[in-house]
Amino acid sequence: MSSDINKIRNIGISAHIDSGKTTLTERILFYTQRIHAIHDVKGKDGVGATMDHMELERERGITITSAATYVEWKNHHINIIDTPGHVDFTIEVERSLQVLDGAVLVLCAVAGVQSQSITVDRQMKRYKVPRIAFVNKCDRSGANPQRVSRALRDKLGHNSVLLQLPIGLEAKFEGVIDLVEMRAIYFRGDNGEQIEYGEIPAELLAEAEERRVELIDAASMFSDELMEAALEDRATPELIRAAVRKGVLSLELTPVFMGSAYKNKGIQPLMDAVTQYLPDPTDVPIEAIDLDQDDAMIELHPDPEAQTVAYAFKLDEGRYGQLTFLRVYQGSLSKGDTVHQTRTRKKIKIGRVVRMHADKMEDIESASAGDIVGIFGIDCHTGDTFTGAGPRINMTSMYVPDPVISLSVHPVDSKAQDNMSKALSRFTKEDPTFRVNLDPESNETIISGMGELHLEVYVERMKREYTAEVETGAPQVAYREAIARRADFDYLHKKQTGGSGQYAKVVGYIEPSTDGEYEFVDKIRGGRIPTEYIPACDKGFRSSLDKGSLIGFPVVGVRAVLTDGNSHAVDSSDMAFLTASRMAFREAYKKASPRILEPVMRVSVEGPGEFQGAFYKSLMQRRGTVLGSTEDAGFARVDADVPLAEMFGYSTDLRSATQGKAEFTMEFSKYAPAPKEVSEELLKKYRTNASDEEDA
Amino acid sequence: MTNLMISLRRSPRTLLERDGHPGPGAGKLGLVMARAGVGKTAFLTGIGIDALLSGQKVLHVSIERTIDKIREWYDEKLVEMLKREKKLEHLSALQLTMERNRHIHTFVGQGFSVERIRHTLDLLRDAMEFVPAVIILDRTEYTELNPDSIAELKAVAADIGAEIWMACRTHRDGPPAAPGHLPPPADGFEDLVDVAFSLVPQDAKVRLHVIKDQQEMVDKDLNILLDPQTLLLVPGVATKK
Repeated sequence: MSSDINKIRNIGISAHIDSGKTTLTERILFYTQRIHAIHDVKGKDGVGATMDHMELERERGITITSAATYVEWKNHHINIIDTPGHVDFTIEVERSLQVLDGAVLVLCAVAGVQSQSITVDRQMKRYKVPRIAFVNKCDRSGANPQRVSRALRDKLGHNSVLLQLPIGLEAKFEGVIDLVEMRAIYFRGDNGEQIEYGEIPAELLAEAEERRVELIDAASMFSDELMEAALEDRATPELIRAAVRKGVLSLELTPVFMGSAYKNKGIQPLMDAVTQYLPDPTDVPIEAIDLDQDDAMIELHPDPEAQTVAYAFKLDEGRYGQLTFLRVYQGSLSKGDTVHQTRTRKKIKIGRVVRMHADKMEDIESASAGDIVGIFGIDCHTGDTFTGAGPRINMTSMYVPDPVISLSVHPVDSKAQDNMSKALSRFTKEDPTFRVNLDPESNETIISGMGELHLEVYVERMKREYTAEVETGAPQVAYREAIARRADFDYLHKKQTGGSGQYAKVVGYIEPSTDGEYEFVDKIRGGRIPTEYIPACDKGFRSSLDKGSLIGFPVVGVRAVLTDGNSHAVDSSDMAFLTASRMAFREAYKKASPRILEPVMRVSVEGPGEFQGAFYKSLMQRRGTVLGSTEDAGFARVDADVPLAEMFGYSTDLRSATQGKAEFTMEFSKYAPAPKEVSEELLKKYRTNASDEEDA
Repeated sequence: MTNLMISLRRSPRTLLERDGHPGPGAGKLGLVMARAGVGKTAFLTGIGIDALLSGQKVLHVSIERTIDKIREWYDEKLVEMLKREKKLEHLSALQLTMERNRHIHTFVGQGFSVERIRHTLDLLRDAMEFVPAVIILDRTEYTELNPDSIAELKAVAADIGAEIWMACRTHRDGPPAAPGHLPPPADGFEDLVDVAFSLVPQDAKVRLHVIKDQQEMVDKDLNILLDPQTLLLVPGVATKK
């Protein structure tokens, strides 16, 4: 393996489900000699693709958890994270994106840019991941890679540029034309492993020349040298590649490659492209937080000699215990090293360091900055940072959306109870969007996550991996409460009727905060409330937010401002101020126009144009706000914001309304005030439940 | 419509308000002309926001941009307007109102045609009871819309009581406007244009001319400078020529 950091590529393969990314990954493993036989997703041989390493994934033909693997290609060391396609598993994608330097966006040559590609691309934009596109399935009937490239531009706003052209299409797809080198590439042998270069077929030459001019035009925007050379008709492949790379790294150019993973065509040039155009770890600035310097942002440098900083982005339970996937951002990590876990301040000795190849592994002695490896024997959560001796450094925390849906789980017997506890403990460590809590009133275990499918998968995993048979309750939407306007409070808590008394007075107001977070502001002057009681006031307000008085859901976006108060030399205490603050909040909350917020999902429905009207209707019936629609060569997509509470059963309804020809994706968009009738219904339900509980 | 919404209206469209009706009126075609990069798109977005703020429904049609991009334009402009008024706390409520009254429709890899727009309007009306009062055609390629189809489009708009706004790029080195006519390429369909503005860059600002109003050629410098960022009217900034 090359130890040169410039030869490392950490890439993800992201796409819409069924675009063939698992097949593509499988072919990459084959060509890089990590596997010696090719298996297909849902293959006839019953083996399944190597990257789909969980049983459930194999059964469903989809990739659920990211599996990391590494390959070597032309003296480059490439770590590949296979990312899930379903948006309910968004955190998996987000985790991958955080540790990746670049990505391959796989698109189907027939279906083009589908709704999930749009969602995944949005996430990549958020993490500023440079990408190249691979148009797969060029052998399929209806394949049109040029149209897909245009759709990348029109639907995703990419500055896409073809670097290849297909030689034949559909059943006649033979190979590709390399527009940089201006030559034809064919893939011979049983598995396409023999590359044969040739002349561009005469009938395609004119188009190839035209496309090359387009390529040079697009690339020269990133290189004056290429622009000058092009004007003098001396643009060389090296100049073009350098300019394209610059464009890719600046996120302003997306080169488009093509092939058919299933037919073993186009994969090796794509691997070349990964090494030529996607960034190495030195190309991407890395920021971290120095906890010893008042959380100052610092830049890390992928220097193997510097203080070690590594980031845990994925956990897996294996035969040998917990396997933690780490990206080493700075310094190096060797077997036997001692590192510090930033969150817990614990010292940890590194036992085994391994490179992963899906579910197989290879022991190595050490890993350097820029690399992705697995380590055994450490107890941690995803998102933990490990450092060598020196300042306490934390990697920038990754964006973790709050769960929007929950359901109760009941183990069927005591054995299932034990196993369920183990499973839940594991899942919460693995996935920060999966949360578990005990409802203190019903005493039920509640699991929460990002969508119905997200929770279904964990329930299924409990059964399969931990033999924990559980029954589940109906899914519940995670509502929130918030205030709409400022309300003043002036509360005196006084109990001085013998014995040690309680005295605390708080005056101030609550109002909506601008960023939706809780904020406590102390504007007390002249010691009207002694400083030592201020934290108790903060705690009193904060604890009031756990359960709003409307429907019992958490209150968000409150700014509590303390302006005045009073205390007693003997009878004031932390407890008295905590109680006063809680009562003051209760008093002010009612006057602050409290309202219920509901989670709203961004939904994209896509299918044949004839169903466009049906899409509108189905979304409107679900209280959706239609944001827009797109027509694309007989297909239509409608984007809408729809309350999650209305989305249950949507897939069944959509299927029946469109004869199964349409599909949809959704991801969390925002919390928004629930309409009056919905709020009233929720209030009524809450009051009924509360009085039932009282009667019981 | 709230007082805030009324107070935020700063688009040059307000200059066309007659008899209490915001904008040029049903079946009328408004055109904004400028060289590349001067701000035609921002101007059209301003027209859209203005209509939304006056309680009208807007259909924004584009062939080049994604829905997200167009939403971004509207949101950015609204944020800027609210910032200047120091009313940013109203952003989410206004955004929601705008989203409920605006529909963005994009045609990918294909141009406008009257038939497609009619089909879209029918679908919106039948499935969502959405009937726009303002239709914005963003980045029209005039090669696709000949005078006949523009006339047809105006008739479609008149049927539903909507006005139409389009942008038209003029060229620095192109032939100048013949006296009493709109500059090329709009002169090819000028009889169909009811209102035309032109945007003229001047010292990092944009000067607003009205070149046609109520079917009459005017070519008058309104003595108004637009905010170069938002392309909106800035009270008190109007300067003498």
